[in-house]
Amino acid sequence: MSELTVAERVARLREDFDRSFAEPARVSGGESIELLAVRAGGRPYALKLTQAAGVHPDRPVTALPTTVRPLLGVAGFAGIVVPVYDLAALLGHPIPDRPRWLLLTAGTPPLALAFHGLDRHLRVPVDCVIDSVIGDGCLRGVVRLPDGDRAIVDVPATRALVHELAGQRPVPEEIR
Amino acid sequence: MPEAKDPLRYFRIEARELVDQISSGVLDLDQRPGPEPVAQLLRAAHTLKGAARVVKQKEIADHAHAFEEILVPHRGEAAVPMAAEEMRELLRLNDEIAARVGALEKPPAPPAVAAGPAETPAVPEREEITVNPRAATADLDDLLDAIGETNTRMAPLRTGCDTVERLHRTAEGLADQLRAGRTGAGAQASAERLAGELGSASRRFIDAVDQIERELDDVRAKAEGLRLVPVSTIFTALRRAVRDAADAEGKRVRFDARGGQIRMGAHLLGPVSGAFLHVVRNAVVHGIEPEDVRLATGKPAEGTVTLEVERRGRYAAFRCADDGRGFDLEALRRTAQARGLLAPGGTTPETRDLLDLVLHGGISTAPAVTEVSGRGIGMDAVREVAAQLKGEVQVRSEPGAGAVVELVFPLALLAMTGLNVEAGGTLATVPLDVVRGCVRLSAEEAASAAITGRIVYDGSAAPFLPLTEALYAGSTVPGDAPGLGAAVVMNGDAGLFAVGVDRLAGTSVLVARPLPDLAPASPVIGSVSVDADGNPRLVLDPQGLADEVARGHAAGARTEATASAPLPILVVDDSLTTRMLERSILESAGYEVDLAASGEEALEKAGARRYGLFLTDIDMPGINGFQFVERTRADPRLAGVPAILVSSRASAADRDRGRAAGASAYVVKGEFDQVQLLSHIRRLVVRS
Repeated sequence: MSELTVAERVARLREDFDRSFAEPARVSGGESIELLAVRAGGRPYALKLTQAAGVHPDRPVTALPTTVRPLLGVAGFAGIVVPVYDLAALLGHPIPDRPRWLLLTAGTPPLALAFHGLDRHLRVPVDCVIDSVIGDGCLRGVVRLPDGDRAIVDVPATRALVHELAGQRPVPEEIR
Repeated sequence: MPEAKDPLRYFRIEARELVDQISSGVLDLDQRPGPEPVAQLLRAAHTLKGAARVVKQKEIADHAHAFEEILVPHRGEAAVPMAAEEMRELLRLNDEIAARVGALEKPPAPPAVAAGPAETPAVPEREEITVNPRAATADLDDLLDAIGETNTRMAPLRTGCDTVERLHRTAEGLADQLRAGRTGAGAQASAERLAGELGSASRRFIDAVDQIERELDDVRAKAEGLRLVPVSTIFTALRRAVRDAADAEGKRVRFDARGGQIRMGAHLLGPVSGAFLHVVRNAVVHGIEPEDVRLATGKPAEGTVTLEVERRGRYAAFRCADDGRGFDLEALRRTAQARGLLAPGGTTPETRDLLDLVLHGGISTAPAVTEVSGRGIGMDAVREVAAQLKGEVQVRSEPGAGAVVELVFPLALLAMTGLNVEAGGTLATVPLDVVRGCVRLSAEEAASAAITGRIVYDGSAAPFLPLTEALYAGSTVPGDAPGLGAAVVMNGDAGLFAVGVDRLAGTSVLVARPLPDLAPASPVIGSVSVDADGNPRLVLDPQGLADEVARGHAAGARTEATASAPLPILVVDDSLTTRMLERSILESAGYEVDLAASGEEALEKAGARRYGLFLTDIDMPGINGFQFVERTRADPRLAGVPAILVSSRASAADRDRGRAAGASAYVVKGEFDQVQLLSHIRRLVVRS
């Protein structure tokens, strides 16, 4: 069985190829969950990929004079000006270093979270994630990894904190 | 239908321009009869007739012909004046032509409900003047010129590519020589020649790329500008509304409009135009008195309705004023009482309150609902549009003299020329139209301006503030900034003022847009633009800057009414003497002060009240100053309150630790300098 003719190998490759189209698309999040392992303010965290709209390194951030300390400034994404918040500051442990990475969050209005390091992209089985609300509520759940546990940053909860800090309630409707 | 096969492609454009000319021409003729407007109208109608015949648009051609027929007897110097009936017929034909040309522009829609059961609503719902964001030909020409210019800049690059190719071959030849071991004077000479040629080629490339970048920036700005429509595009329809309302009421009313050159997004102009259609009609119907009444009160027989459009910083103001009778306050009061909006027999409401009711209560002063001006609809429309555009409405009325309705709203996109300035490593833009002048500052002049807070310009002393103090309020200015090199003098409401910048970085045309949601910024920032690299650039708000300069200038006794008050300062020190000393310094500088004797007490107080600044000692029993700063930085609700450390520790390590903890400034007690401390506080303190 070890020696296959070229024709057999081609046939097998063709079968595999065809079968990959015949199978239903794998749904991430069904049995596994995709995460970004990041560092913010020197601590390890994880972010759910489904809550992100993009990750960008070294994008210039124009500083804004503001009294909202975690608000680093604004950055341009395809002609749209997006506020950038320091994730470490939102989680309560800011460091003086400027974060290098920007995570464009899913949802509106546009919002980017800045963090210091991107460790890797992970796909983990759902049962590696323990769901629980930690502390003030920006963290939700922990993912167990061989190199230690990482708290998962809940983007919607973080967004809610940003709304509160910016003095804008997340109520899009004008109340007349 | 493929474009090339569409026989009406050019006719649509031409006809639209001609219809615009005819529509405004008829109104010109109505207000200022004479041979000139007649001649212009005849030309436009004749051209339209010809063009319509060519593309077999018989109805348009016939209407244009009928239009001409009415005008012909009135051309020339000794013309017969127009009869009112003829004028009405011209307007009617104008409408017919406009409707047919409009129908050609729309894709064939499902047939509208013809005459049938659907009743015309008595009150028009949301009327709007169609604001066509199509660009004016001149703007498109400008853009095409700019693109052409950029194209011509490609030529040096093309030549440069050939040069690089040639130099590449030379380098290869040289490499061959070296490989063959020919390393003599000849090889050295060709290596040097090659280096020289590469050097000049590189300079030419840099120049060419710089130029192209500038040209592309210009192209981008012009293209962005195309998204904006001049306000004058809605004037004709408003004039027409005034004319029609006046005609229906049997009044004579003149309509003046100013500020037509201001440009804004069609999505703003559309709703605003709809609201002002109601406002101008209301002004004619409810405001302007019948001719006999006007004459009896000493007013000219002809009433005037004026629409003024102004840009105020990043806001647009539409103000409609009439010289009529003003709001009928007595009628308002009666209606309000009848509707239960005012308690009968209560105290007489203030005029202001009654006018607020007009704005908010949907009541009108008209004795009856008329054909052109429904009861209260105008004000409702303005109020709705204001809410939609996040603007504000104001109503003023002077009995017998007239009424003013003003709508002010923020402009989403705003084309402007800006002066770019650099301060503390930040590039920002000042709207050029408020800049009076720029002054180069020597090191001594800069130091003197920073200390005295004044700069001499044009023979008088203008208040001065380094821009970094406004831009870096609440944070640390980067240490490597070059320092003040120039002052930009601007016109403010309260006179000239100046800001100090590191350097001037030229002017550029830009499109400013509001700051995004979730980015609350100091009032010195008016808006933001996107530069050629796609990065945001801050656009400064002149009024916000003026307030900031006045505030920085009000170093104690003189407080500007416009400046908002600083929030209280929390002094944290375990020494009673220091607490009292700092309190007396701060209070005599006009700040409100709370005291805490320990870090723990300070955290408790900080959680219970909003402070503008923490001034804390380092060495304290329990939570020390570093920890206090760290803990407050870690709390997103307190992190916005700047902290200053005051300590007898003077080492660099302690300063570093303070900075790492998140302190905005570090003041050494031994070198305690009251002026320096107050200047830090003035720069950092959060205001209500």
